[in-house]
Amino acid sequence: MSLTLQPIRVATGFDEEGMLVLDEEQRLLAVLTHLSDQYDGLSGHWYLEAKFGVLEGLGQPTYPDLDAAKEAIAQHLARRR
Amino acid sequence: MSAPFHPDYNPLILKLESIFDLTDEERQALEKLPMQVQVIKADQDIVREGDRPSRSCLLLSGFTCVYKITAGGKRQIVSFNIPGDIPDLQSLHLKVLDNSVATISQCRVGFITHDDLRDLCNRYPRITSAFWRETLIEAAIFREWVTNVGRREGVSRMAHVLCELLVRLKAVGLVEDHACDLPITQSEFADALGFTTVHVNRVLQQMRAEGLIVTQGTRLTIPDWDRLKQVGEFDPTYLHLKSDQAAA
Repeated sequence: MSLTLQPIRVATGFDEEGMLVLDEEQRLLAVLTHLSDQYDGLSGHWYLEAKFGVLEGLGQPTYPDLDAAKEAIAQHLARRR
Repeated sequence: MSAPFHPDYNPLILKLESIFDLTDEERQALEKLPMQVQVIKADQDIVREGDRPSRSCLLLSGFTCVYKITAGGKRQIVSFNIPGDIPDLQSLHLKVLDNSVATISQCRVGFITHDDLRDLCNRYPRITSAFWRETLIEAAIFREWVTNVGRREGVSRMAHVLCELLVRLKAVGLVEDHACDLPITQSEFADALGFTTVHVNRVLQQMRAEGLIVTQGTRLTIPDWDRLKQVGEFDPTYLHLKSDQAAA
């Protein structure tokens, strides 16, 4: 499955940027937030801020980079099939 | 304020007296209750789900939590325990533990054998009533937690739990001027409140920014108790304290 990312600003109440994660048919799967510098060890990581039904069971992890996030989401979708 | 180590400080008596009138004789019987005192470092299990204990643990100092783990390995903390609590008192009557108890900070724990507890209850039926009342209040706290975790959001959910902890800590003499030692980490709050650690971090930042809490290390200060209660929709009735200690 090929996922695409679209930059978006996320209104977390803090100054944080994010990415929309879309599937091949441009369905919105998740919103990732790039964590700002207030989170100690997690700052700079990508947080699964919100997700939709097909990602149920994935929890709300943080990923060290966008490739890791895409990989985890793609694997979850593949297991679902 | 760190937990007092003075030999006269008996959190069990303070706790029971916050919900029940004890006679001098009953107080003395509780003071003489034999226990094996042990210091346990932070993040250790004291008892585990599936255990069949022959003793219960009285928390003398420090914080513990009661938790369960899902098949996927996720932990849900279902309650925080403070000095004076006996987090596995139910094992006196329920033979198999259906939850685990772990230390949050370093703790002093007094292990009391079930034989000694049974003997105490047989000799002092009013102490049995006090334990029963304590158990009923614990059930009320669980009902409140389900409501809180299920229906309140972000700052309100956190504020509610902080209000509860402050009132309970005050009942055992561990609050001074709306300030207490609270060694609970963001990850432990996340497991208790059904948040992620990222969410806990944001909630605490927001509460600090709004002046609802002041933190310095493990020290928590509440600058405006009425406002925190209002934000957390906190009504202490469910703690069934005897006096107006709920004013914290």
